[in-house]
Amino acid sequence: MLCFRSEAHVDAWCLTRGLPRRPLVDLGQLWHLAVHWYGNRLTVDSRRPAPEEMTRIFAEVGLTDPFWDPSRDAFRG
Amino acid sequence: MDFATTTKLWIYQRVADSGRVPTTTEISAGLDRPAEEVRAACDSLAEKRLLVLATETREIVMAPPFSAVATPFVAEVGGRRYFANCAWDALGIPAALHGAGTVRTSCADCGDPMTIEVAQDGPSPTDCLTHFAVPAALWWEDIVYT
Repeated sequence: MLCFRSEAHVDAWCLTRGLPRRPLVDLGQLWHLAVHWYGNRLTVDSRRPAPEEMTRIFAEVGLTDPFWDPSRDAFRG
Repeated sequence: MDFATTTKLWIYQRVADSGRVPTTTEISAGLDRPAEEVRAACDSLAEKRLLVLATETREIVMAPPFSAVATPFVAEVGGRRYFANCAWDALGIPAALHGAGTVRTSCADCGDPMTIEVAQDGPSPTDCLTHFAVPAALWWEDIVYT
């Protein structure tokens, strides 16, 4: 995932590359994801969230679109 | 504690202290264990998606949120500089280190530099949006491109 100055810059980037416009995430939402993914990464108990946990973490910041559904990923944590 | 967990903790503490992801040789020396045992531990951590290894060399490419190679996402925390794998991981570094910091990157479209100040409770408001190109279920089909 990449950073952009504005939605207009995202649109220009997608248009140039012939890529579909996908969801945008603001810094507050991204911080929430970062804390939940990595907040305990230097500890014994650190692990990647399981799909059910990912779904909950995404939903906590309003990311409920099917784009955020990890259920087709075979990883079970 | 099993050896994979010991290895995980050693790797992450080494990155935190040095800003650099260690090689198998360095991990082996640091833990005083044979390289083969370290490789097996890293394979186990990669299966748990706590590390990403290079296909041929089996060296660590990513110890998320940290990158073993230079990237356009740089996080500075506690006076040390770290490379992140993406925008998410760039914020993940101050989150993992529990310290305030600064993220330096650039707009993927126009190339203008972007600076994000990150306090211990999160980033300051900044004109910055992130775009996810790949749906969540497919991230690990090619974790380098998300």
